[in-house]
Amino acid sequence: MNDIIALNIGQFALVYLLLIVVLLIMKNRQIAQTKLLIVASCRMTVQLVLAGLILTFIFENPHPAFTLAYLALMTAFAVYMVLHRNKNINKRFKVITALSLSLSGISVVCFFITAIVGVSLFNAQYTIPISGMVIGNAMTGMSLGLRAFNDNITANRNQIDTLLDMGVTPRKALTPFVNASIETALLPTLNSMLGMGIISLPGMMTGQILSGTMPTTAILYQIAIIIAICTVTCLSVFLCLYLGAGTLYNKRGQLL
Amino acid sequence: MFTLDNVDYKNIVRYSDVQISEGGVVFVCGKSGSGKSTLLRLLNGTISPTSGVVTYKGRDVNAILDDDTAAYRREVLLVRQSPYLFADKTIVQNFGAFHAYLDRPYPNESTVNDCLSLCCADDLSMTNECGVLSGGERQRVFLAVNLSLGAKVLLLDEPTSALDTQTAVQVMTNIKAHCRDNGMTLIVVSHDSAITEIFADRVVTL
Repeated sequence: MNDIIALNIGQFALVYLLLIVVLLIMKNRQIAQTKLLIVASCRMTVQLVLAGLILTFIFENPHPAFTLAYLALMTAFAVYMVLHRNKNINKRFKVITALSLSLSGISVVCFFITAIVGVSLFNAQYTIPISGMVIGNAMTGMSLGLRAFNDNITANRNQIDTLLDMGVTPRKALTPFVNASIETALLPTLNSMLGMGIISLPGMMTGQILSGTMPTTAILYQIAIIIAICTVTCLSVFLCLYLGAGTLYNKRGQLL
Repeated sequence: MFTLDNVDYKNIVRYSDVQISEGGVVFVCGKSGSGKSTLLRLLNGTISPTSGVVTYKGRDVNAILDDDTAAYRREVLLVRQSPYLFADKTIVQNFGAFHAYLDRPYPNESTVNDCLSLCCADDLSMTNECGVLSGGERQRVFLAVNLSLGAKVLLLDEPTSALDTQTAVQVMTNIKAHCRDNGMTLIVVSHDSAITEIFADRVVTL
C-alpha cells in the first residue's frame, strides 16, 4: 500500500468549485434551496474543521474525560437535532426520545468498542469515530421514524378514533403505525446494505483504504459498523415509538 | 341509564340535566353546535367532562373507565358520523379485521349476512375491496360491522346522513327492530326531523 497523500489547502479549495455546479443548476431550475446549500456547506466546513482540531488535541493529550465529554456532546447534539426536527411531540415523548437515542447509542457503542474491537471505551481513536457513525445514524433513523409516525397517525386519525370508539386499546390501535414507522426508519440502512460493495464503497471503508489499511481489514470494520448501525437504528426507533406512543393517550384511552 | 348533571366540556358545551332511560330509541336533537356529537362522546367515554358527572347505571363513567375502558366502550358503542373501513380489504375481511382488533374470532357467515341485511347492504359484492364503495355504501357496511360487535347500547351519530330517504327509513326500521329484539338501547343524533318523528320513542333536545 502507498502512503496517504495529504491534501494541501490549495488543492483542497478546488473542491468548492463543484458546489458552483450545484448552485448553477438550482439557479437555472429556480430551486429555492441555494441559501440552504450555502449555509449547509459553510456549517459543515466549520464543524469539521473544529472537530479535526479538537480530535487532534484529544489524540495528542489522551484522557478518559476527553473521550467521555466528546461522546456526551455528540449524543446531546443528536438528541437536540431529533427534537428540533420533531417539535410537535409532547414533553414525555421528548424525554423518551432523548433516553431511547442515548441509551441505544451508548450501549451499541460500548458493545462494539469493547467486544468487537477489543479496546478500552476510553480509547479516543476508536470510540469517537465509531460513536459518530453509530449515533449519527441513530439520529437520522429516529428523525425519519418520528416524522413517519406523526404523518401516519395524522393521516389515519379516523381509523384510530374508530378503533378506540369500539374499545380497542390505544396501544393496539397504534401498533400498525409504530411498525410502519420503524420500517421507514430502517429502509435507508437496509437499502444501502443491499448495494454495498457493488454500487458503492462505504465511507468508513474508503477512509481506511485511503489511509493505508488493507482492504480485507477495512471490509471487516465496515461490515461490523453497518450491522451496528442497523441495530442501533432499529433499537432506538423501536424504544422511542413503542414507549412514546403510550404518552399520546391517558389510561382511559382518551387523546391527550 | 345515563345521567349528566351540570356537565361542562371545555367551556364549549354544558348539559345542566340530561337523563336517558334504558331501552327503546332516544333521539338527540338540537341546533348545530349544541353539543349532540359531544354528548355521544361523553357517553362512550372517548372524552371526559371538564366538570360535572356522567353516570351509567348509577356509576360515574370515569370510574368505570378507570376499571376497564375497553369493556365499557364495547358495551356502550359509539358509531361516528364519518365511517371508517379498511380500504384494501373486502367487506367480509373488514368484519374480520375489526373483530381481530377486539381479540374476537372471525364472525360466522350468517352473522355477517344478517348484519349486512339489517343495513340494506346485502346486495353489495362481497369480493370488492371497500375502497371502491360509495359514501352511502360505506356508511351501511360500517353500521353493519358495528351491529355485529354485540354492544348493549348503540350511539349512532347521523347514521343515515349519506343515504336516500327510502333506504334511510328501511335501515332505521331494521335497526330499531334489531335493538328491540336484543334488548339494546339506541341513542341517535340526527338532523333529519322526518326520521326523528318516525323512529323516536323519546327525544332529548339540547
